[in-house]
Amino acid sequence: MAKFAIGIDLGTTNSVLAYAPIGEESPRVQVLAVPQLVGPGTVEQRNMLPSFLYLGTPQDAASGAYDLPWAKGRDFAVGAAAVRQAADVPTRTVAGAKSWLVYSRVDRHSPILPWNAPADVSKVSPVEASRRYLEHIVAAWTAAFPDAPIGEQHVVLTVPASFDASARELTREAALAAGLPENFVLLEEPQAALYAWLADTGEKWRRILKVGDTLLVCDVGGGTTDLTLIGVAEENGQLELRRIAVGNHVLVGGDNMDLALAHHVQAAFAQKGVELNAWQAVSLWHACRAAKEAVFGEKGPKKHPVAVLGRGSKVIGGTVSVDVDRDAATELLLDGFFPQCDIADKPARRRVSGFREIGLPYESDTAITRHVADFLTVQGEAGTPVRPTHVLFNGGVFKAAALRQRLLDVMGKWFGKKAAPDVLEGNHDLDYAVARGAAYYAAAKQGRGVRIRGGTARSYYVGIETAGLAIPGAPRPLRALCVVPFGMEEGTEADVPGPEIGLVVGEPATFRFFSSAVRKHDKPGEVLDSWKEGEVGETDSMEANLPLPETAGGRGKGGKGATAPAPETVEDGYVPVRFHSRITELGVFELWCASTVNEQRWKLEFSVRGDAEK
Amino acid sequence: MARIGLAFRLFFRALSDADFARQVGPVLEGKAVAPAPTDARKVQTPKVEEPKPAPRPVRSEALTLLSVLQREARLVDFLKEPITGYSDAQIGAAVRDIHRDAAGAMERIFALRPLEEAAEGSSVEVPAGFDAGKYRLTGNVTGQGPYRGALRHGGWLATKTQLPEWTGTAEAASVVAPAEVELE
Repeated sequence: MAKFAIGIDLGTTNSVLAYAPIGEESPRVQVLAVPQLVGPGTVEQRNMLPSFLYLGTPQDAASGAYDLPWAKGRDFAVGAAAVRQAADVPTRTVAGAKSWLVYSRVDRHSPILPWNAPADVSKVSPVEASRRYLEHIVAAWTAAFPDAPIGEQHVVLTVPASFDASARELTREAALAAGLPENFVLLEEPQAALYAWLADTGEKWRRILKVGDTLLVCDVGGGTTDLTLIGVAEENGQLELRRIAVGNHVLVGGDNMDLALAHHVQAAFAQKGVELNAWQAVSLWHACRAAKEAVFGEKGPKKHPVAVLGRGSKVIGGTVSVDVDRDAATELLLDGFFPQCDIADKPARRRVSGFREIGLPYESDTAITRHVADFLTVQGEAGTPVRPTHVLFNGGVFKAAALRQRLLDVMGKWFGKKAAPDVLEGNHDLDYAVARGAAYYAAAKQGRGVRIRGGTARSYYVGIETAGLAIPGAPRPLRALCVVPFGMEEGTEADVPGPEIGLVVGEPATFRFFSSAVRKHDKPGEVLDSWKEGEVGETDSMEANLPLPETAGGRGKGGKGATAPAPETVEDGYVPVRFHSRITELGVFELWCASTVNEQRWKLEFSVRGDAEK
Repeated sequence: MARIGLAFRLFFRALSDADFARQVGPVLEGKAVAPAPTDARKVQTPKVEEPKPAPRPVRSEALTLLSVLQREARLVDFLKEPITGYSDAQIGAAVRDIHRDAAGAMERIFALRPLEEAAEGSSVEVPAGFDAGKYRLTGNVTGQGPYRGALRHGGWLATKTQLPEWTGTAEAASVVAPAEVELE
């Protein structure tokens, strides 16, 4: 019998668990204090668990320095201790695996992190790192509530709205391996932030928002920017919230701002004739994190000192410091990340040179305002950009009032002062909003409470090669068959009409797979011959394995539980199938191939091994 | 044949060993053998018990607090460094960061609050029979109380004590900060 509703925010930089007892009229949500290592041999409870993993040496395991109350002989550390190690021992620390889950160019199950680590470090895969963060949180819960095992509670785990089906599947996999119950729900982070606002505002929200209003949830965290549009509609006389659109996973965030300030300060040091070594440069980056908060804080003196403390025990003697002009720093950050721009501006796509180091695809254009402009324009109908009536801010970056104000000013210029969006004010702490919102959602799902309707955030397509004349050297042109329409509701399924596809028996059948966050009107069965640049993006391909038909008594060795097609259906080694798509109640996407001559079906799985051929 | 051997052994044993005879006597009457009485000479069978976990090494909480302040704010480095040679500007530049980090750690661990919330300089009343640990009277101290005077210092009260838990080895119990070695 579930006693608690639990919301887990698995963040890029920090993870949080919030919980509320089930059965209360207005759920009282609290944040769990997670015991974690803050240094070797020291365990402390903190409200946030940094998503960092330090991979220690066998020496560390033997010494017991990384033991936890629930685990002995550990040779790795998750949390605050790992953050310190990230600065001092970067080759053995994994800093945030979350963004890697989206990156289809690498095999996310193979041990590749820490990226570029030396050979003797026992690396982990992005999925494994995510599993360890979740496992730590689950263990902390079990230690705090031994009578309420997490497998029996109502659990909601958040993912960025921009995560496509493949990244969500990988998150699910890590979560189930960490011990979350089978029926846990994935919730999008901007929606969770809105739920936190709803929890804090209570019933007043129906007076603040009206039918036809559009909310822009702008979430800028440590490393990522996520944009979502939510509309207010009416159903059965009740106000209802519906997710309209999501943006791309943009890798720009507060960390970029710290680094920009650090570069600026490094130049100021160089002017004074002070050369910083590598350790001091890292230390400066962290000092700039604090400086950034001071720069945007309340009015203070015109000059703000930034110091890099001396290494070793001569902390005063070795300190180098420089005065940073507050106005110059403010201008640098505001103009670098929230510049004035036009609604029609697009983020700059710098031409990449032929060779590029394989790593995360960090965004070239750091102007968050341009990303917002692009999002609103692209989501608009008939060329008019969407005009949000309200804005909800989320993410650590927006703790600074100056940044919130600047974004509102820029939006005011786009739409006119009168039509500038209102801010949804809440007293929610921006660090915990997503986890608290997820816990509120888990509690509300049991009965009363507001639910944001959404369905899939994207439409999905399968790539079909055209049957036509082949040209040597040129790949066959591809057409995209829509299998999941935009906004397909959870708990529904649909047959994809159209001509039959022939699946080859005995060979793995691979389909290239695409998604679009922009094309909202394609129906299942529609085939796209061409599309505008940026409308459709390719993601992990899907594959199925139809084993060769066995003689009676044997079972085919098809992977993933596939059964051999009955011999009478196999003509020339082909089985004619049509696609059948399904979104489960929990929001999990499934694509099946259903034979048109009998009742057999085979499930397509995401091939997340990475596309070496691309 | 074995019974003759047994009979002889029983005969001689009962003769020489009084305890044994007491034990075995009831058998002749058909009762069960009495359990061997505990005897200092007999070797006691060790009871099978869970090996007790080795006692956790203890470290003074004061050292844990000091190591927190060193790790987060480098306060020990600062206090150990002779600062007579440095200018105020040099010291000030470094101290701002140390102050911020140490204050943050202290707030997280103790959440200190003033004992008396009133503004310093305002008039406050100290009840008669007050606890000398909570109030300190200065100036013209006469009479019984309650006393009325100007508040010079609000005092500090720890609203919690939440130190991290130390799980290290006995050898490292006195270590406030480990030595740091950078590998090439």
